[in-house]
Amino acid sequence: MKKTIVILLLAAFGYFLAITFLDPDFEKDRNRNGVKNVYLEKTVSELKTANTVTAIVVNFRGFDTLGEVTVLFLAASALGSILFKKRHHVGERSITLPASSIVSTGAKLLFPAIILLGVYVFVHGHLTPGGGFQGGTIIATGFLLMLISYRNFSISHNILSVIESLAGILFVVIGLMGFINGGTFLQNFMPTGTLNNLFSGGIIPIIYILVGFKVATELTGLIYTILHEKG
Amino acid sequence: MSLYEIIGGLLSIIGASFLFLGGLGIYRMPDVYNRLQAGTKATTLGAMSLILGVGVVKMEDHWSWIVKAIIIIVFIAISNPISSHALSRAMYHRKKFPIIKSSDKNMDAYREVFEKQEREKEEKK
Repeated sequence: MKKTIVILLLAAFGYFLAITFLDPDFEKDRNRNGVKNVYLEKTVSELKTANTVTAIVVNFRGFDTLGEVTVLFLAASALGSILFKKRHHVGERSITLPASSIVSTGAKLLFPAIILLGVYVFVHGHLTPGGGFQGGTIIATGFLLMLISYRNFSISHNILSVIESLAGILFVVIGLMGFINGGTFLQNFMPTGTLNNLFSGGIIPIIYILVGFKVATELTGLIYTILHEKG
Repeated sequence: MSLYEIIGGLLSIIGASFLFLGGLGIYRMPDVYNRLQAGTKATTLGAMSLILGVGVVKMEDHWSWIVKAIIIIVFIAISNPISSHALSRAMYHRKKFPIIKSSDKNMDAYREVFEKQEREKEEKK
């Protein structure tokens, strides 16, 4: 009985998946007017950004991104405050078994490559898929690898919070500079350069680099707090 | 069809079939170590071959694609075996031992070392 229901549900799912992908109708709404045409035109002509998603996320709806960064900061500080009760255990690792030499040698080999990939992803956020959030998360996974393979690998919490706060403050400062120069918050005020160049898109790469630093330090701090919590 | 597309397509088909076999192995095998073995061996070669195939197909546009593909292949060649080693080691230290039906003691030679280590730990306590 249960298996029959599962098979029927899977068949229905497969059917709808198939009709979606066999007849996508991507061209249907192309000519209708709407906000998406404004986005698509302005991204190329005014902002000179190759990645439309980045232009929407950072420029047209940059205020939303500031909100997202704030939500992440709030989540990190909430977790820190919950784990703060057990803070007197900090210094002891909750993992008792040390990593084998294969893992630690491999981690030493892979760590620079992972950091480089993360930096590449957030620096090229306006040209290729990806951006600050993704790049920052990749960097945090690199630090996670180092933390689980070396027992005495430690990061200063103060440096992390200084970098994080600086990145957040600079994001708001850039927004306010747009307010002063252009009239609205996070308005583009820098030269946009040529399409598909690294130095293009006005303030988008700068904001994404700041977001990358902020997300990387925030998530690294989170991982560090969780790993050193003994409970 | 150009030569690049034919060679790349063949490599991709080899990779895809190895990935399929890896998935089948994870589904069919009885315990963690067998599954890890099936998963890691098949997916390492499968992913390598698939990515190399994509690199060869795209090499028609620009030569840099094959270099990028080789960089990803090197990354997989390092990271995939290490991660599966860490997983199997963690499982062994949780005392989930492999299923062995043969009476040959050499089938699981690490067991003796592990038990000796455990006894030493107990004595320290």
